[in-house]
Amino acid sequence: MKKLVVLVLMLALVTVSTTLVFAGGQEEGGSDQPIKLGGVWPLSDITGEQGSKAAQQAVDEINAAGGVLGRQLELIILDSEFKPEKGAAAIERLATVENVDVFLGGMASSVHLGQIPILKKYKKLTVWTGAASHLAENAIGGDADWYFHLHPWDYQQGGSYVDGWEDIIGKYSDIKVDKWFLAYEEGPFGSASFESSKVLFSDMGDFDGESFKSAAAGGGDYKAVLQHAKESNPDIFLWAGYGADALPLLQQSKAIGFEPALYVGAPPGWPADFGSSSLAEDVFLYGMWAPAMNDINPVSKKFYDGFVEKFNVIPATYFAPLSYSAVYLIKEAIERAGSLDTEALITAMEQSKYKSALGETITFKPSKVIKHQGIEGQKILQWQNGRQEIIWPFEFSTGTPVYPFPGWENR
Amino acid sequence: MKISPKIVIFLIIILLSIAFPFFAGPYQQSIAKNVIIYMILALSWNMLLKTGQISFGLAGFFGIGAYASVLLSLKLGIPPILTIVLGGIVTSLVASAMGMIILRLRAMYFAITTLALGEIFRVIIHNVPNFAGGAHGLILPGVIFDGNGLYTYWLFLGAALFSIGLSYYFDKSKIHLALTAIRDNETTAKVRGIDIFKYLLIVFTITAGMQGIAGGLYAQSFGFVTPESSFSGDFILLPIAMALLGGIYTTAGPVVGAIVLGVISEYLKLYIPYGHLIVYGLIIVIVILFMPNGIIGALYVKIDGRKTFGKVDQPNE
Amino acid sequence: MTKAKRLFLSGGIFILALIIFIWRPTILIYGIQRAGLYAAVALPMALVLGIVHIVNLAHGELLMVGAYLTYFVSVTFGLDPLIALLPVAVVMFLLGMVIYKLTIKHTLKAPELNQLILTFGLAMVLGQSVNLIATSQPRTLTVDYVSTSLSIGELTFGVYDFIFPATALIILGGLLFFLRKTRVGKAAQAVGQNPRGAEIVGIDVDKIYLIIFSLSTALVSIMGSLYLTKQSIFPLVGGPFTMKSFALVAMAGIGSLPGVLIASLVLGVSETFLLSFKGYGGWSNIVFFAFIIGVILIRSHKGKQI
Repeated sequence: MKKLVVLVLMLALVTVSTTLVFAGGQEEGGSDQPIKLGGVWPLSDITGEQGSKAAQQAVDEINAAGGVLGRQLELIILDSEFKPEKGAAAIERLATVENVDVFLGGMASSVHLGQIPILKKYKKLTVWTGAASHLAENAIGGDADWYFHLHPWDYQQGGSYVDGWEDIIGKYSDIKVDKWFLAYEEGPFGSASFESSKVLFSDMGDFDGESFKSAAAGGGDYKAVLQHAKESNPDIFLWAGYGADALPLLQQSKAIGFEPALYVGAPPGWPADFGSSSLAEDVFLYGMWAPAMNDINPVSKKFYDGFVEKFNVIPATYFAPLSYSAVYLIKEAIERAGSLDTEALITAMEQSKYKSALGETITFKPSKVIKHQGIEGQKILQWQNGRQEIIWPFEFSTGTPVYPFPGWENR
Repeated sequence: MKISPKIVIFLIIILLSIAFPFFAGPYQQSIAKNVIIYMILALSWNMLLKTGQISFGLAGFFGIGAYASVLLSLKLGIPPILTIVLGGIVTSLVASAMGMIILRLRAMYFAITTLALGEIFRVIIHNVPNFAGGAHGLILPGVIFDGNGLYTYWLFLGAALFSIGLSYYFDKSKIHLALTAIRDNETTAKVRGIDIFKYLLIVFTITAGMQGIAGGLYAQSFGFVTPESSFSGDFILLPIAMALLGGIYTTAGPVVGAIVLGVISEYLKLYIPYGHLIVYGLIIVIVILFMPNGIIGALYVKIDGRKTFGKVDQPNE
Repeated sequence: MTKAKRLFLSGGIFILALIIFIWRPTILIYGIQRAGLYAAVALPMALVLGIVHIVNLAHGELLMVGAYLTYFVSVTFGLDPLIALLPVAVVMFLLGMVIYKLTIKHTLKAPELNQLILTFGLAMVLGQSVNLIATSQPRTLTVDYVSTSLSIGELTFGVYDFIFPATALIILGGLLFFLRKTRVGKAAQAVGQNPRGAEIVGIDVDKIYLIIFSLSTALVSIMGSLYLTKQSIFPLVGGPFTMKSFALVAMAGIGSLPGVLIASLVLGVSETFLLSFKGYGGWSNIVFFAFIIGVILIRSHKGKQI
């Protein structure tokens, strides 16, 4: 008998929980209803947290200015938790329970790989700000005309660095980049940097590299790789890792007396207060945006001031202005299309020419596989007086390069 | 055979879950699929636990199953469903070879060794780029059933029912008696002539196969594998927490635990977008504190007035 | 082991170390520094496991919380982290007491798995709470002396990292003294060996557990403070330490504190050995786990069923 009761209770439990999940807005979007955008980010990570907040900021700005087509925008934010299956379920929810008109968001290629089959099922307008892996590009494929990718692919980032350094040595003839050493974290992010750079930079001289275990993955001891870099004595030392690696790398370089003429870091974000360290001075970096952009770009200034005012923190990652731009791109496309019809939206998106907070005027062109790629490269910046100055592309430059990297003793 | 109310209720549950896609949307189905992945892991882990062995090798076997399935589809063009089954078999073979060596170990030493082996698989796959995609992983040209949600759900459900059936069978069969004897007192079991090693090996192989199948399902339904996501530590402690929260040593426990935790986590994040995992962790802590025998255990105590359910003292150390 | 055998073994190890030292001195220097960090973090876990008999999966998170507290204390009051370490350790001792009284105490009668998952839940709560408060952006204190280096001939290496092996030795020495010479420590050892027996002879087992758990929390928090001087911290920084410590304690054998030091040394040096070959660094992860499996299996082969 007791087993029976348990079974009945179990049945009740299952029913209750499924009906609970059921609960959710099912209403159809009428003309007085807001236009719904659905965003998926890893909210526990600074990229996703600030990316989603910047997108919300853009939505609020647009609504305050009267909305789009006389309707308000509504952003529904879901957490991907950095898990592919959760990210995929979030897309399903946005598509079927929330009935959003547009998908946006994104960070982390492996989460995106899990979402791609679902995105393909709904074929709604999708504006993605993250996922740089070429595998994700292959998974999207060439016929997904509804897919608009803002972040440069891994090979495009590599390509932009080649262009950047060629331009820099062309303009500043004392800078020498004949011998390279790339220290890269052993995960997909670092490995992709290494593989693409090895091919791309082979024309630019002697290219060597080695992997290390990032502090983000429980590592943080770089002495071996730095020792090898020191032995190879490169003109330019690059590292591709995470923010947590930034300062320890410098400290350990100092400890073993490794002083390359160019010290370049390529993490997706920098630690708080990095700039205030004396070791940070004159480190080069790759990135898409820095607060210095405010000096030359009014959109960036508007974004920055609005973000600081709304959230009381400084945007610490370029995913913030990127997500902000994504919302404005969508807004302008809806205006041009005059409706929410997907075909019309895609055509309108293709005509985008949005002057973004990142500096670039965003348009969409085909990349290696997909039809609609937005930004095609990163920028080269340098830490100067605790601030990231943009060095290249020269059209956005806010400073000139300091060369060579000063020795450790002169700091 | 007399039709007991129990069987009727079982049948109703099965029918309801088969019919689930007709009254639930794609989102609910995808939650159900995620729940099932963790349910299979929790069930299989619990099956081995019944012998007294605590395995931390779930993620390792999950990853092997996922990679085997994807590699078999990509390199040999075998149909996806078949590769999931084959992936499970490959995992079983790996596990039985491992088991020959490591099943001698007990308690924490066994746990840490299974964990270490799982990590070793991940590092190997990570560092051999030409074989299995290295750090980037691999993508499939398409997902199973071309993304047809209905068929995919039923496939998952089939795997879940199969796992539940297997777990139930183990509870009822002769193996169960042998296993309980091992857990309760290994020395007595030895004296009674039970070939402990043989039974341990059988259970270890079968449960690893189930974990491999879960990995194959995951890989084929999302269409990719990467070392970091396919061998993710999430596949170790979350299923264990689910089994424990539902109630260990029973078949119903892991099932209920997986459903409850799986649904709660979806819920929490709707209401607390930033920081819902704090509450999730708190729920785990509170349930452990107030329901030390899990949900099923607590129900039995309530109904029965009994203080204990199953065997709650320590597995032999 | 016979005396001759032991002598032979230690002689062999010494000669091996000498060869490595002459051939590539950095392997030994960096290996010892690395081992020191491993050991100092693993020792408090070994203490809890040996006496309270729980695997604390929140071990690394406690390190992380200690590091964050040190960070905020240092930034707010302008203190050097090596000074801020002390008040933080006191606070963490109290936090350890609270955690023990509120949660762990109530699961000690339950199966050991309950404690495992309980601390897993605690780890999640701690990690995610810090994440919500401080965000996932790494935080760094810049302390100049951490890059202090020493040059001997051609060789330049950092000396600050020797703080880790030094701390490990101090912690080990302190703990051994505490367990062997003090009244509470002896009682704790008795509890570790046989809690029921200890209870019968009148030892307040619950109080011992409370002291040991809080002590271990304070110790791991000190390691968090030291870690902060060298590395950036972020909410997930502790996780890998939990697993590494657990593995080291298993390799050393439960209850053996000096064993943790030896296990760390073996792993630290062999990892840096492999890392010193360019391009094989990725495999150093395997060394760690292969060693652990090897040692556990060899020990089980010697007849002892573990």
